Amino acid sequence: MKKKYIFWVIIALAAVTIPLFSGPYQMSVLRTVLTYAALAVSWDMLIRSGQLSFGIAGFFGLGTYISAMCSIYLNMPGIPAIIIGGIITCLIAMALGTIILRLRGMYFAITTLALGEIFRIIIRNGGEFTGGPEGLIIKKLVFDGGTIPTYYLALGILLVAVGASIYFQKSRFHLALTTIRNNERVAMTSGINIYKTLIIVFGITAGIQALAGASFAQMYGFVTPESSFSGDYTLLPLAMSLLGGMYGTWGPVVGAFLLGILSEYLKLYIPYGHLIIYGIIIVFVILVMPQGILGLLKKKFRKEAV
Amino acid sequence: MATLDLESVSRRFGGLKAVDNVDFSLNEGEIVGIIGPNGAGKTTLINLISGITPVSSGTIAFEGEDITDMGPHGRAQLGIGRTYQLIHPVEHLTVEENVMVGFVFAQGMNMKQAREASKQLCAAMGIEKPGRIVSQLNILEVKKMEIAHALSTGPKILFLDEIMAGLNADETHQVIALVQKIASERSLGVGVVEHVMGVIKKLTHRVIVLESGAIIASGEYEDVVKNPQVLEAYLGGGAH
Repeated sequence: MKKKYIFWVIIALAAVTIPLFSGPYQMSVLRTVLTYAALAVSWDMLIRSGQLSFGIAGFFGLGTYISAMCSIYLNMPGIPAIIIGGIITCLIAMALGTIILRLRGMYFAITTLALGEIFRIIIRNGGEFTGGPEGLIIKKLVFDGGTIPTYYLALGILLVAVGASIYFQKSRFHLALTTIRNNERVAMTSGINIYKTLIIVFGITAGIQALAGASFAQMYGFVTPESSFSGDYTLLPLAMSLLGGMYGTWGPVVGAFLLGILSEYLKLYIPYGHLIIYGIIIVFVILVMPQGILGLLKKKFRKEAV
Repeated sequence: MATLDLESVSRRFGGLKAVDNVDFSLNEGEIVGIIGPNGAGKTTLINLISGITPVSSGTIAFEGEDITDMGPHGRAQLGIGRTYQLIHPVEHLTVEENVMVGFVFAQGMNMKQAREASKQLCAAMGIEKPGRIVSQLNILEVKKMEIAHALSTGPKILFLDEIMAGLNADETHQVIALVQKIASERSLGVGVVEHVMGVIKKLTHRVIVLESGAIIASGEYEDVVKNPQVLEAYLGGGAH
């Protein structure tokens, strides 16, 4: 218990003090990794119900645009614009969820992928209002684009995702989602309103993805249909969660750090080739260690304890 | 007025009548056997009552309220509990957590109350160490957990779908005694689907016999098993 406490104190101290020891490049990499970690955790929160979503990029992109528009058209400062981006996307996801959460398995997964594309096409063809293919520029960056405060912003978004995920694991959502994943009939006859539960979880996870997107837009100051709705925002969090270990909070975070830092390293040596490495990692993890790195470690420690 | 009332309930799957114009009632404190050959419609009947499958025609009432169009989670919250022929315990949850589910979602308890209630119920059912994961249970414990899971929804009526399947004679006797104890202590109405006639004879107050979805006989066990239609359904045309 004491060892665990010390471990978390060290992690917290490292997270808070790291800007003191890092240069702008490292901070920029960390900011990106933190954002991906938040996306990976939020994706994992929905997969705990058995629902596979490919809609991360769609909600991430929606968050970038809503927050950018709030800043440009309503002169809203960065932080409120980020929060509004998250809330509106959450509500949009819940409204869409009332229709698409009647689907299951691959039908649901493909529909979420299509949603992202629909959002992108609408925004691309939205004329001056959405900036069309050129996108929009936010003139005043959040915290004036400062490296250190924006690092803390990304850390804050990850903490929101981690907090929500831990709440899901400790609360009635844990029982509901795990039972739904196991067998929907049993869940229904246990008194679980599956439809309502999934709509809430879909809305919350989409909201977190949008918060990550909105903060990204406010940090970098521009949004375009291609960059905001990039397939990377769907593919990478999924690979990170698989690598770290699904159905928990810390697996996706560990996966995000490993894959995020690895991808930066790989980009230097094989530009764009890092995507091939992601593909290999996904296939390797599915075939050899479906429980992910954290799952393997837990298994090892459990065996040693026995 | 019975606790559960089915009036002219039918269910068709394309051209097949899985349940055909069934009238059935179940009262609190009563144990009713539901028997019939394979494919007679026993499990479909439970699916209709628990709301898993919608009826094609007819009405289902619970404590006088028409629940024909109510979803399964609403029926569980009202007090209709069930087990499944193919048991699906949640492998990723502990026994205690498996049993908590009904307390939380059907009875509206908070997590702390549900954990306490789950521990008590597991103890009452004779399930030791409820902190174990499901894969560590033996078959008898899995069956007990399945019943405990159904009881956690706070049912007034409970359907047990072939709960004795896979148990040896000694284990079967233990589960029979357990079901009798639960039914009398809680004044439960229990519907038992079972192929082992010894279980039906020992456990039930009355029996209905289904064939091709329709009730072909009902009454006390001794009378029903002598019924020529029942013998024909089970043994074929030359049985009498």
